Amino acid sequence: MSDFDPGRRRFLGHLGLAGLGALGASSFLSACASSASGPTTSNGSGAVTIQSNLSSPQAKAAMEKLIETFNAQGKGTASLNTIASETFRTQLPTYLTSANPPDLYTWYAGSVANDYASKNLLLDVSEVWKSLDDYPQSLRTLSTDASGKQIFVPMNNYWWGFFYRKSNFAKWGVQEPKTWTEFLALCETLKSKGIPPIGIGLGDTPWVASAWFDYLNIRINGAPFHRELLAGKQRFDDPKVKAVFTRWREALPYFDPKGKAYPFQEATTALLAGKTGMFLIGTFFADAAPKDALGDLDFFRFPIIDPAVPLAEEAPTDGFFASAKTANPTGTKALLSYLAGVEAQEAYVKASSGIVLPANPRAKASDSPLVVKGKAMLNEAKELTQFFNRDSSDALQPTADTALTKFIDKPDQIDAILREWQAGAEKVFKG
Amino acid sequence: MTATISTTSVTPTRRRRRSARLSPLLVAFVLVPFAVESVWVFWPAIQGFWFSLTRWDGMTPPTFVGADNYVELAGDATFRGALVNTVIWLVLFGGLSVLGGFGMALVLQKERRWVGFYRAALFTPVVFSLVVTALVWRVFYQPDGIADTLLRAVGLEQLIRPWLADPQTALYAVILPALWRQIGYVMVLFLAGLKAIDPALHEAARMDGANAWQRLRHVTIPQLKGVNAVVLSVIVIDSLRSFDIVWSLTKGGPYHSSELLSTYMYSTAFQSLRLGYASAIAVVIFVLALAVILGYLVRAFREEAS
Repeated sequence: MSDFDPGRRRFLGHLGLAGLGALGASSFLSACASSASGPTTSNGSGAVTIQSNLSSPQAKAAMEKLIETFNAQGKGTASLNTIASETFRTQLPTYLTSANPPDLYTWYAGSVANDYASKNLLLDVSEVWKSLDDYPQSLRTLSTDASGKQIFVPMNNYWWGFFYRKSNFAKWGVQEPKTWTEFLALCETLKSKGIPPIGIGLGDTPWVASAWFDYLNIRINGAPFHRELLAGKQRFDDPKVKAVFTRWREALPYFDPKGKAYPFQEATTALLAGKTGMFLIGTFFADAAPKDALGDLDFFRFPIIDPAVPLAEEAPTDGFFASAKTANPTGTKALLSYLAGVEAQEAYVKASSGIVLPANPRAKASDSPLVVKGKAMLNEAKELTQFFNRDSSDALQPTADTALTKFIDKPDQIDAILREWQAGAEKVFKG
Repeated sequence: MTATISTTSVTPTRRRRRSARLSPLLVAFVLVPFAVESVWVFWPAIQGFWFSLTRWDGMTPPTFVGADNYVELAGDATFRGALVNTVIWLVLFGGLSVLGGFGMALVLQKERRWVGFYRAALFTPVVFSLVVTALVWRVFYQPDGIADTLLRAVGLEQLIRPWLADPQTALYAVILPALWRQIGYVMVLFLAGLKAIDPALHEAARMDGANAWQRLRHVTIPQLKGVNAVVLSVIVIDSLRSFDIVWSLTKGGPYHSSELLSTYMYSTAFQSLRLGYASAIAVVIFVLALAVILGYLVRAFREEAS
């Protein structure tokens, strides 16, 4: 989800690049089309092509470096196509269903990947997973489809939390809250000091509101119910879902009213400038933060509401899957094994600017206090969720955007909003 | 039509000779564009009609569902909202850009000092890409942005609201930048029409004692009939395909309050991946455009005949 936005933010700057990428992709496709009929690719020795949506300058450079290293190792050859993320998102089904698709793709783990797997579009990568036996079970489960085979190789993940500036919390004389009651008390204190306590950015990035829904739901009803709801096995007009909004309503008066009109990047600026107290967001927001502010940032986990509910956190996982129709499965798997290795993951984390945790448990993450704290929080969690769209589908996300922005505007109409949401979701599930 | 038929029946030999002399170059000029159009325009359009009768996610093959999509459209509140918004858009965007464009053309038709500058200034927004226009207007509308500062400066701060995020104002806040651009375009069309009017007509009217209003009403406007048809088609088509400015400013939100048929079609197709349903919306847009333009053309022809 986070990747939508770096792409959009840099969209204009990268139009040219995206265009080149598209040209590259099409020339590759035609090259593949012509060579597929020849004898060269039938023995599986052609270059493996990676279609990448990591279009922010640092991430793109990091990927380029990884591919360069892989090519130098002599285990195969690979070439990288970087596509603007929004284009990538809308084109992905087309890539996968075309007659001669690119071999490997950057994408998200979870239900989005499983959905493609259920249509037999993804390559079985169980062989790669044989050498990944030290990966945690949670990541293995996440990468396994309904038929029990692995179809995804994780690269890294990140976390969501309430971010704030340490210097501001010290200035206002407030502490990190642990429980929902403490959280509301903190909001009240900040409000009395004239600071809008909770920042949000829904203008242009309405999906940010889904983090609130996800967290309240996994704190009140637990992660299994949340996943079932997002898979269409529970109803949005269920009283259990309404309970989520009853809680949310307690916090609504503390939201920054300007947040409806800002995108999340501006909400980040507002937080850093001390115009809001805290901001529930994923670590990718730091891409938009000036370097000198990074050291002053800290976060706390979404407050506990019901201690009886097993602790779950949002930890969206990024990685790779491959097309079932690849002409070179051996080369593709070799590249995946390389990307899942310690060396590649450490190199990627070092080169990319984002605050991310490598998926390989033996790979060292950055040792900044923020990353150490984030890693500890995820390790403590009994369950990990991905994010609204990743646990359901990109198709369901707009129904959530509509329902949640409307709720924030008109909390009185919650019953009607949930009925509409259920109706909208049913249409999406029906197809 | 009748004339041609009678000539052919009277002098079949001469007619045949004429058609035999049809230049191959001319045939090529007609057939080549027709072939290209068939592949790139007609065929996809016909396919669109077919897809509107199917359920299709873009990955698995489409399944035929008959009129199901159209039945669903009839009961879809979001679609109804988008339809109403599209009508509002057609009336406000279309109406005001005709009035504004015509007014500007009248004011700027006479060659005076600086008139070239004003014309260029009004036309400049047309040159910008709508996505760039949207970026500029977003800065204008943002909280504590130019719009809010202006209102505060004149003491109207109670009017300040999140312009693009308030369902009451979002649609109108998007129409304004669209108009800002369209007026310049319509002005140029009308300017061309005004230039083509024979000055002798105005002079004769003036000699007969017609005042400025009478000359406008009885000379200028009737003389612009040809341009009107072009302007109407342009306005209707531009209204129904308005998409980029809405998508870049609000994406049809908040909660569908600035949704147009075009944005609803796009989000249904490429976000919800319901391509069959989106095709049904596209068919409705097509029928609407055709109905408005055909309605005008039929009336225009009838007037000409009588």
